[in-house]
Amino acid sequence: MANYLSITDILVTNEKVPCKFLHDLPKMGFMDPSATEDDLKAGTNVEIPIWLAESLHARRPPLVSVELPKIYKETYREILNADACTVDMHKLGQYFYELGCYIAKYDIKGEVATTLIDTFKQRFRMILSASVSTDSITALQPLSTSERDRTAGAVVTEKALSGWLKRGDCPLTTATMVANHRKRKRAEMEML
Amino acid sequence: MFGEKVIELIKEAERNRGTLDQFNDETIRQIIEEMHVLFKLNMNDANSTTENKSLWTTVQVRHSALERNKRCLLAYLYNRMNKIKTLRWEFGSVLPPDVRELLSDGEYDWFSKYSTNLATYMRSLGEDIGYHGIDLTENLRPPKSLYIEVLCVSDHGKFELEDGDVIMLKKNTRHFLPASECQTLIRKGILQQIV
Repeated sequence: MANYLSITDILVTNEKVPCKFLHDLPKMGFMDPSATEDDLKAGTNVEIPIWLAESLHARRPPLVSVELPKIYKETYREILNADACTVDMHKLGQYFYELGCYIAKYDIKGEVATTLIDTFKQRFRMILSASVSTDSITALQPLSTSERDRTAGAVVTEKALSGWLKRGDCPLTTATMVANHRKRKRAEMEML
Repeated sequence: MFGEKVIELIKEAERNRGTLDQFNDETIRQIIEEMHVLFKLNMNDANSTTENKSLWTTVQVRHSALERNKRCLLAYLYNRMNKIKTLRWEFGSVLPPDVRELLSDGEYDWFSKYSTNLATYMRSLGEDIGYHGIDLTENLRPPKSLYIEVLCVSDHGKFELEDGDVIMLKKNTRHFLPASECQTLIRKGILQQIV
């Protein structure tokens, strides 16, 4: 498994996807919030985290069939294809791209994959142009987590480059973790 | 639902990327307990599958949950380990007491061993050309000048320079010092360079 120790990947795989159970599951009734019985019957539709869905789908024979979450379905894909830059990614899905990579496997027509790439291309251009000019980052539509990280990275790099071009001297600074530790301690003191 | 406790742990790690948290003994204990329960249930059901074939599906689900919990715990520890490694480079070999108490006993052992390893390596550097080691945690940035002007931001006390002079580092005092001698203090946030 890739990224076995990655915190981000663990959070991504915690997102829920709709699944249909193909076999009876004795004693597992609690997985379906609307069920009253102890056993989970074959054919029930339940939303389960994708880590569970993936591993149950990989069994022989598969225990579940994975369906597309609604943000990757036709309707939303049309919105994204029309203009991806106006979408509120924060609301749509914090891990839109990452989860999409998992989901794309279950889309036989391969349309999810194309949408992901197109969306990324459109939005990447927007983010790139916003991060080299100084002002407009806050004016962007809310971004997904990975986009936010990328923007922050772009800003830091841009600053470092312009500093280097000006031949500025680099003053010695406090190490980041020391500074963060201090800041937090101060915040805790203020709360008391 | 399975694996919810463990996600709390992971979210906590995600929230504070730049700092180290208190080692979360209590939650980890609860997660391990959950895993023991799952394992026992699975053992019972796996033994009884000979009579009741339909139970195998349940066993599979629980097994996935066990693997998930294991993965999350390992990821939590691994990420802390990386942060502790950074501690050695930024705080030095002796941790301030308030940082020390954030580590569990096992982690502190690891820190000491890492510290010793690093020290041994740094001492061994350059032996063949007649040096007695290099401190790699120094000069992380190329020095622009030999002497720099610094402002003291917290009371540190006496500080002896290489030439034998002793100066008092009191809050809000300014000093003109050799860059090589005060950079460690700058990284620890006791001094601040005035540009």
